[in-house]
Amino acid sequence: MAPTSFRILKTLALSAVASLAVVACGGGGGGGNGNLASDQTLNFPILGDFGTLDPATADAETDQEIQQNFQDGLVRFDANLNIVPDLATAVPSASSDGLTYTFNLRKDVTFSNGDTFTSKDVLFSWNRAAAYQGAYATNLSAIQGYDTVAKNKKAGKDLEALLEANDPSVTMGGLTAPDPYTVQVKLSQPAGWFMTAIALSGSTGWIVDQKAIKNDPDNWWSNPATAIGTGPFKMVSYTPKQSVEFDAVANWWGSPKPTLTKVKIDISVTNASTAITKYEQGGYDIVGYGGYSNLPVADILRIKNTSNESAQLLLHPKVRSYWVSFNMVHDASRQAGGPFLLSGGDKAKNLRLAFALAVDKNALVQTVCQGIVCTPATGGLIPPTLIGHMDSVDPLSKFDAAQAKTLLQQNGGASAVAGLKYAYDPENPLNVATAQFLQAQWQQNLGVHVDLLPVAHSPFIKARLKGDYVLSRDGWQADYNHPQDWFDNLWGTKLGCPDAGCSTGYTTKAYDDLQAKADAEPLDQAKADYAKLNQMLIDDVVYIPLYYSVGAFLIKPYVKGAGTNSFFDNFWNGISIQSH
Amino acid sequence: MFTRGTLIYIGQRLVLIVLAVLGVSSLVFLGIHRLPGDALFSEHLHGDQYQQTLHHYGLDRPLWVQYVNFLAGMIHGDLGESLVNRGVPITPIVLREMSVSAEIGLVALIFTVGIGMTFGVVAAIRQNTWMDYVLSTTSVIGYSMPNFVIATFLILVFGIWLDNFTQGTFYFQIGWPGRYGSIGAIWLPAFALGFPYASIVARLTRASMLEVIRQDYIRTARAKGLREAVIMVRHGLRNALIPVITILGPLVIGIITGGVVIENIFGIPGLGKEFANSILNRDYNIVIGVFTGYAALVGLANLGVDLLYVVIDPRIRY
Repeated sequence: MAPTSFRILKTLALSAVASLAVVACGGGGGGGNGNLASDQTLNFPILGDFGTLDPATADAETDQEIQQNFQDGLVRFDANLNIVPDLATAVPSASSDGLTYTFNLRKDVTFSNGDTFTSKDVLFSWNRAAAYQGAYATNLSAIQGYDTVAKNKKAGKDLEALLEANDPSVTMGGLTAPDPYTVQVKLSQPAGWFMTAIALSGSTGWIVDQKAIKNDPDNWWSNPATAIGTGPFKMVSYTPKQSVEFDAVANWWGSPKPTLTKVKIDISVTNASTAITKYEQGGYDIVGYGGYSNLPVADILRIKNTSNESAQLLLHPKVRSYWVSFNMVHDASRQAGGPFLLSGGDKAKNLRLAFALAVDKNALVQTVCQGIVCTPATGGLIPPTLIGHMDSVDPLSKFDAAQAKTLLQQNGGASAVAGLKYAYDPENPLNVATAQFLQAQWQQNLGVHVDLLPVAHSPFIKARLKGDYVLSRDGWQADYNHPQDWFDNLWGTKLGCPDAGCSTGYTTKAYDDLQAKADAEPLDQAKADYAKLNQMLIDDVVYIPLYYSVGAFLIKPYVKGAGTNSFFDNFWNGISIQSH
Repeated sequence: MFTRGTLIYIGQRLVLIVLAVLGVSSLVFLGIHRLPGDALFSEHLHGDQYQQTLHHYGLDRPLWVQYVNFLAGMIHGDLGESLVNRGVPITPIVLREMSVSAEIGLVALIFTVGIGMTFGVVAAIRQNTWMDYVLSTTSVIGYSMPNFVIATFLILVFGIWLDNFTQGTFYFQIGWPGRYGSIGAIWLPAFALGFPYASIVARLTRASMLEVIRQDYIRTARAKGLREAVIMVRHGLRNALIPVITILGPLVIGIITGGVVIENIFGIPGLGKEFANSILNRDYNIVIGVFTGYAALVGLANLGVDLLYVVIDPRIRY
């Protein structure tokens, strides 16, 4: 008879084998035959939970990618980034003085809980968003009375009570509802960008249901019973950091009617490579949706080289640009100083130009992005497909090592730029590779050693906006398709430059004046002025352009209608699952 | 099983655990507010709007006011709200993740004790045979390799080399499909977590068993004609277990803290993964919550180990 210990060992071994057998079940899918699958469930991961689904405070791409499928605005962007009517019957034009917009609302719209949508909901949603002062509150800043509401300090039930009572402290005077299906908006000054700003999905211009929010004003969006919107899908379950599920709304008022019956989003996987592996094993239908199209370069390269999966890879330009910012002002608030100041005149400008020309942007893209996940920023800071992208080549994007060296020699030589540091946030691996590449280029092409200063993201952004760095990693992701989004949020006195919230400190009277003019003009008229603003930045060598980002998606062949434009994922109600 | 004295001891320990948890979370609260950076500040959210958001979360109040509010919440079992996942209450998240980590930890502990004792007993009763050498060598390898190396190796073997055998579904388990409690999903990470400690248990059990099986009472038992299996399990193993139980406390803590690495490698949504994510995201409230969860888990696990003495050795009383 075998000793007891042997039997225990045998049992353990058998258990291990049995466990393996349990694990070894299930499998992936195959090709489609063009017919709809019986199970219209879409599965995909997001690699981090959303911050909030409340339009008043949402500020992350993931939030907005989800919200655009269960909430609506009066207008929205279509797949080609045109502004189209959503809850409004048409996109209104501004009055002749550019100060008044009148929205006529659809009368057939209901929230997913059956509540009827009226102009009262618009007033509530917009006043509430202005009062909450989330990251995108300024999208409503052109409306008369915004400044008063922006001073509000109340939140939660206190704020809801004020809103319900139409308290003047939280009511924008320029926002009125002549009848249940008309909303009139009066602006404090002409703003050609206003319509674009309120079309931004999942943001302050989007509509919420007052009745649903009333009892839980802070967390209504996380509870399926109160996460109510007018969109084609409704939340049916949500476990934070685990999963969220949406079902199609029966008899939804809009079009196209959703074919998918359910959307299951896995929030438990936070690693992109793990998500890709799970996709390859049949666990997901899509990877890259929900604002996570920055898939690892190594995985993309591997998939590109496979025969069966390369066709599932979708690479598409996105609306984020990266560049290097110089510190251009030195005062009591901006301590960094450095050799690149506006007050340094032509000498400082030539030094900035030397640093810009010394960087080979094509080589950067090959080295840092393997030529896949980014493209050289050759058309100004505004990426391709967006209004404001330059038709000509940005002179700052050129690479001319000889001229760079000459400029440096003529303007003080290496000693004029000694002891420089390039600050960056290393959480994004591309930032690390970029910093190392820049350091090598400046050393090789200028003979200048620049130290690298990695700083954690949040302190880095804080310090950069305070003017603590002479050279720093900079970037911007477009919020909406309008040049104002770039020229108002990155430079100029309107933003707070030189001393508040300004990476470079750059502001000139000419810039401020032209910016004010452009902002007030209708878009067609404003384009030329924004182009002139762009030229000012180039003439003053305010930045070193690096690259535009490219999004990467994996989409199973049986998923039809999924994809992206440069801003956002294709809407869920245009997606279907084919038999496979 | 438990006497009145033991129950009083349990009560005292529970009070101490509560105080320890409060102390740990207070230290973390005070420490973390000294760190630079936060979860809310971003390229889009700064200036007045940032201040407004700080106000909304009460983060603009003096530290002592925040601390008092935090303590008041703690006493009511409310760990506050996530800053990244805005407004979402933390307590349910920590409790859920604690249960996931405890589940993995428990299975890892079963591996630790099961494999460790089996190896130790077999090596002892087959001392200086090839079997002893094989098991002892395996043990040395086990505790020489960090758990993340074992985890990566297991992924290599079962996920890649044996891809045909596992039908690729091994990777399906990475990322956790949400079926908590499925042994098929747990056993591999639990093995990676428990095996290094199993090696320690094996060596200790072997040494302890070698000492015990040479005792007079074992010889007496054999003389009485008892079966060898009964002698080894009832008289040998039971007495050899006392030193093993003694190191079980530190091992349990090792398993719990080791879960931080293993959960991140296997993508298991437990406290360990949250620990890493929340620090990277600067979601301070969750960091405090996770530390609180860990403190509670370690305290309760140690109490459980101490109570095992009573079960194993009736002479021990509290």
